[in-house]
Amino acid sequence: MVFHRGQKVEVYRRSDDESWEPFMDSLVGRHGIITDPDTQINDPNALVEVSLENKGTYRLPQDCLRDLEL
Amino acid sequence: MSNTECPVNETLTRLDHTLYQNRLPHPRSHRLAEEVHTLVVDIAMGRAGEAHLPSIDKRIAALLSFADDPNGVALGQWLAAQVSDHQEVFLSHIKSQNCATGDCDFLTPAPCQMACPAGIDVPTYVSLIGLGKDAEAIEVIRRDNPFPWVCGLVCTRPCEFMCVRGRIDTPVSIKFLKAFAAERALSWGQYRNPEQAPANGHRVCVVGAGPGGMSAAYYLALKGYAVRVIEALPSAGGMIMVGIPRYRLPREVIDREVAMIESLGVEFCFNTRFGSDVTMKELRSEGFEAFFLAIGAHSAYSLGIPGENAFPQVREAIGFLRNVALGDRHIPGRRVIIIGGGNVAIDTARTCLRLGCEDVTLAYRRTQNEMPADEEEVEQAEEEGVRFAMLTIPVAVEGHDDTMTGLRCLKAKLVSMPGSDRKSPKPIEGSEFVMPADALIAAIGQQVEHHWLSAVDGLEWSRRDTLRVNTATMATAVPGIFAAGDAVTGPATVIEAIGGGKRAASGIHRYLSGIPQPKMPPVPVRRQRVEWTEVPSKTKMVLKRPEMPLLNMDRRRTTFQQVELGYSENMVREEARRCLRCDICRRCGLCVQICRDKMGVNALSMGYLEFDRPGATNFRQTQDLCISCGACATNCPTGAMLMEDRGSERILSLCGTILNRQPLVHCDTCGAVLGTERYLDYIRKRLHKTAPNASGKRRCDACARQSGLNSSKAAMPLT
Repeated sequence: MVFHRGQKVEVYRRSDDESWEPFMDSLVGRHGIITDPDTQINDPNALVEVSLENKGTYRLPQDCLRDLEL
Repeated sequence: MSNTECPVNETLTRLDHTLYQNRLPHPRSHRLAEEVHTLVVDIAMGRAGEAHLPSIDKRIAALLSFADDPNGVALGQWLAAQVSDHQEVFLSHIKSQNCATGDCDFLTPAPCQMACPAGIDVPTYVSLIGLGKDAEAIEVIRRDNPFPWVCGLVCTRPCEFMCVRGRIDTPVSIKFLKAFAAERALSWGQYRNPEQAPANGHRVCVVGAGPGGMSAAYYLALKGYAVRVIEALPSAGGMIMVGIPRYRLPREVIDREVAMIESLGVEFCFNTRFGSDVTMKELRSEGFEAFFLAIGAHSAYSLGIPGENAFPQVREAIGFLRNVALGDRHIPGRRVIIIGGGNVAIDTARTCLRLGCEDVTLAYRRTQNEMPADEEEVEQAEEEGVRFAMLTIPVAVEGHDDTMTGLRCLKAKLVSMPGSDRKSPKPIEGSEFVMPADALIAAIGQQVEHHWLSAVDGLEWSRRDTLRVNTATMATAVPGIFAAGDAVTGPATVIEAIGGGKRAASGIHRYLSGIPQPKMPPVPVRRQRVEWTEVPSKTKMVLKRPEMPLLNMDRRRTTFQQVELGYSENMVREEARRCLRCDICRRCGLCVQICRDKMGVNALSMGYLEFDRPGATNFRQTQDLCISCGACATNCPTGAMLMEDRGSERILSLCGTILNRQPLVHCDTCGAVLGTERYLDYIRKRLHKTAPNASGKRRCDACARQSGLNSSKAAMPLT
């Protein structure tokens, strides 16, 4: 999955990535918009910036995100 | 206290009032009150921990015991009573992160503000710009971001992606409004620093003069810290100076905003490399108690293909852009190939054109759909004449006698790989070809140069080779050392670096003051509640986001002049009126629900209230259907929906958007207001069967009763 700017996504699960912090558990289930995907090399391991409704903007691992536009 | 007041919010208001009006002139009590304020803000924002209440108690005790300041003692007494009387409510805020009264939730920022990594109060500054108060708008922005002009030109604008107006047509042009206000405020000499706290005797060292480092320096200097910024480059700005080309961000913009930080007493040491020119040990011996590492990600990845290191004409993009930014204006070659599909690749290609390269081709392994660069940047590059070679995989650099002659490539096709939902480029057998070129620039990503930090014991690194921190505080694994920016996130955005720098400044302040650190990243703080501007619904719907005027194409191809010329004043004021004021309307949908389900009218067409699948919105529809009953306004929890009688009209508005305007109908007898014709019709239809109006006159209840009484008296025979 290549995320692009403006795409609507859901944080559908916790990530096992080391960058996942305990407070991020409260983000699971939230919907948001990709505001800064990996603008370098399309790396599936890169953290992407996502703005979650009523929760703020976070840089999250891609494996916890699901496309809502499919 | 009434049931509708939240004691946490009440405490915050009292502290705000006390601090804002400078009622504690003694520095010790003022500082203690500020620290209590910080802790109560955490509680109100739902990000406090178990240590917060004991910590508040400790500071209250200090206020009470400091008899030199009677005002401080009085405040301490009030705070002690407040916390003791409402301890359960304070604890419930901490444990459940919930405010039962909704008062604290009332501080919930708008989606645009929540989206901003620096937490800027967007609706407030957009409203101020709409009112022509540009300098005031800049003051609001600089409470959360010391670089409004820089961000007005190069921010990736997450705020606009979350802008609710975008669910109706297009988002408010927040970024360009900010740029206009900053330029105007500077030009008119109204761009000022906030008042600085007196020196507190602590010294902090910031490593790296990029946006993250300078933001931390700014907020620490405002709090009274002596800050020294160490920078390896000869000037301030970091990636915004040497990574972003001048046609997007003129140097003067950076210099002016850096000068504002310097004027707070921040000391800059340029051409000084941390780890070689100066060490942590030396800095500690000079008295620096805390450190902020914001070294960026300036090291480029290499291509790993034969010939890459054999020719001097092959170079990496970030070094090339740095040299151009620092004054080297030699062309890399006549025919240049840039490898990569990100923003750096696009910036490099457009820079090559401006230097005079005759043929600039960007080669990318996937298709344009997969290019990670911003669409706008790609479009502008195409307009200027950059050529794109998609599905092209570099294989080897060709040449002879130290001179590159071309790039051997393979054509690729995108295929799905097992276990992955992303398509990968697969070379097509026998498709090899040579692209003639005399220079090659690789733009395939950057990483942190962590060897400069190798002498700092205890730092932890992620598997992405970035510094590991607690993102709530930006603290590293080493006490007293904080970090943010690209060194933590990998190559990311300017506004993220600024947000990280601000958060780190708060973390450092707490560290040096002995205040407990928060468990969650900060929730953005609303700075004001500016009155809304009235706009007719038709205007609100018709106003369109203005197009940005651009420099003419000949100059774009030949000079480094700024491409985006900026909005005119008229465009800016009009654009600000498109804002829906989501800082006031929380989009709960109660108004729509009541109008449709309870009143059966359905006059509010506001599909934008939905986030996932917004429906159609038409503010004009209300004028045709609304009966002016006021049920929506009465039930609105935030006062966003308002119904008022003004002169001879009843007006319904939502955050200043005039939805309905109906003439008032008066009592034929006493002249009292009865409502609007539509409202009376609605009532008549509902009461028709039970209470026919025989007289045909319009009367208020009192006059109708009086009239009924008189008629019955007249009919009654006198005995």
